[in-house]
Amino acid sequence: MTYVDKDYSASNGGAGTDDGAPQEDSALRLELRTAASTVVIATIRTVAADLAARADFDLDSIDDLRMAVDDLCAMLVRIAPADATLRCRFTAHAEQIVVAADVEVEDGTEPPPTRSFGWRVLECLADEVSAEALPRELGQRGRICITVTKNAVTAQQP
Amino acid sequence: MTPSVSSVGTEQGEYAHLVPLQRRYAELDPNDPERPGLREQLINGYLPVAEHIARRFAGRGEPLDDLMQVATVGLINAVDRFEPGRGSDFFSFAVPTITGEVRRYFRDHGWSTRVPRRLKDLHIAIRSALAELSQQLGRAPRPSEIADRLGLPVAEVIEGLQAGEAYRSSSLDEMLGSGEGKATLGEFIGGLDGELALIDDREALRPLLAQLPPRERTIIALRFFRQLTQTQIAEQVGISQMHVSRVLRQTLAYLHEQMAGSD
Repeated sequence: MTYVDKDYSASNGGAGTDDGAPQEDSALRLELRTAASTVVIATIRTVAADLAARADFDLDSIDDLRMAVDDLCAMLVRIAPADATLRCRFTAHAEQIVVAADVEVEDGTEPPPTRSFGWRVLECLADEVSAEALPRELGQRGRICITVTKNAVTAQQP
Repeated sequence: MTPSVSSVGTEQGEYAHLVPLQRRYAELDPNDPERPGLREQLINGYLPVAEHIARRFAGRGEPLDDLMQVATVGLINAVDRFEPGRGSDFFSFAVPTITGEVRRYFRDHGWSTRVPRRLKDLHIAIRSALAELSQQLGRAPRPSEIADRLGLPVAEVIEGLQAGEAYRSSSLDEMLGSGEGKATLGEFIGGLDGELALIDDREALRPLLAQLPPRERTIIALRFFRQLTQTQIAEQVGISQMHVSRVLRQTLAYLHEQMAGSD
């Protein structure tokens, strides 16, 4: 597993970054790349929950994000061939975390159906969910990506 | 035997008749033949207090029966050790004594992984702050809000929350038998059917949902069909948010597993 991270502190302007690439405001970025296997899901969801806790999400939202990441990784691992790579990119803004996870897939693999129970669960756990097939790069397999957005405070239904 | 949650402590009047017995019990010579009978009367009389305290600790992964027993031991200790001459009333002595007994029990029995005592105490403090703050805020608190309430650094609260993950999680088997909630199934079953129709795999899902124990089904339905938050569900079902979280995770894992098997 490899990861890339950036300073947590929100206040220092976010000017200098290691690679010199322009980075948006003070968002924390973290990327995990691993074999698409169920055994790593526990680690990934723990990272998600830890990011949310340190971003001061309310406890419901921390737990929702943990479950959402667990579910979306499970969905992706299910459609991935045995030797595929799973990639999770976390972007933690002040009041919002975006998780974009993707796997390599065989030609013709469809994104998960949005009318499934699993998708319904994701929609309830996250504030926004989307799935897309990423454009294929030359000599690479196609990838399917699920993106979830979670806000720091879970709005209460009346 | 089932006092309403608010009656104990606020209306000490219902225990007023025990006060003279208490004085008498304390005055008697330890070998006086009248003592055992008085002791029993006092213990039985104050039993609702122990029960009330045990209930406040329910929904944290330990069976209520066990908590009742532990709280009763605490009550017996309180009855035996109370000295009316000291000026304080029985409640202000008994409540901390009983609560302490239950806390000790949690500290010693409730953990599946060895967690340092400091973290266990911290976790218990976080739980009570969590309950209070959820009530006040009308939503789950943030770690910073818990830290403010407890006067601790946020990093320490996060550490305590993570330690909570090691708290004994009840197995599915255990869930099957466990208590009943306040939310009734009939309240939303119609809504559930309507919502299910929007889902393609409802044919696989419906029998699985039907098989779940009522409380687990209620919690799944409230979360994923009515879209209540964990904190709201905790309030409605009468268990802690952390317990709701455990039930959701275990039940979801079970449902996914069963659905994957049915493909």
